Amino acid sequence: MGDQIARYLDLAASEAKLTAANMANVDTPGYRAVGMDFDAEMRGALSDLDRGTSPSRVRVGLVDGLIARPDGNDVSMDRESLNLAEAQLRFKTGVALMRQEDQRVMDAIHADNK
Amino acid sequence: MNLFGMMETSGSAMQAERMRAEVVAANMANAETTRTETGGPYRRQMVVFAANQGDPAFADSLVNVSGALGSGSFSRLDLAPGVHIAQVVEDTAPPLKRYDPSHPDAGPDGYVAYPDISPLTEMVDLMGATRAYGLNGSAVQAEKTMITSALDIAKA
Repeated sequence: MGDQIARYLDLAASEAKLTAANMANVDTPGYRAVGMDFDAEMRGALSDLDRGTSPSRVRVGLVDGLIARPDGNDVSMDRESLNLAEAQLRFKTGVALMRQEDQRVMDAIHADNK
Repeated sequence: MNLFGMMETSGSAMQAERMRAEVVAANMANAETTRTETGGPYRRQMVVFAANQGDPAFADSLVNVSGALGSGSFSRLDLAPGVHIAQVVEDTAPPLKRYDPSHPDAGPDGYVAYPDISPLTEMVDLMGATRAYGLNGSAVQAEKTMITSALDIAKA
């Protein structure tokens, strides 16, 4: 379980990092927004863990379907804000799960003290 | 995964946007300047933003991209974590001429060359810079929250 959560945290951090990169370039002419498919990456990570293979790299691509401004930049402020909020919540969820997992182990260790 | 790299990204953007606001302020301050070191009236300055080349290690770990989300070619440049000001350019538009023969900088024909600066354009640019600064500021806030919650894992 811990490995899965660790991978989840990694992916959430990757997502936040990409969003931060997009936000930083909100006024750079010609910049195209980058993104990743979180669900597909997570599925891939889970099957990697099942098969025991080393985790594959995160696939990042240009985001489709955004409206580019006349200067060629297609970063949308509200999309990025939403993405960042989502990544943040995912990260928090991961941390909460991780703590729960740790707590279970600690409870097992101290079971005879109770 | 380095969470602090994100702060650098947002930080570079805040720095660039602040520089942009400074240039706007300089333009507005010099809207009526007829004398400069290089001679002639002040010329409007503009910043040019360029995406950072970025940390090669991070780019390498992500440049496995063909056929991922979007289509088309995809280079390291597109994965730029951050932004920098490539250059500050001068407006090449001709100066505005105003008839004022008593002005010390008036030409022989009695016209004075003033910088072609419109307060409206400058204010819009300033607003854009402020908004982008705020956006990246809230990104830093979010990143701080994430780092703090990651520290919570270790707490009992």
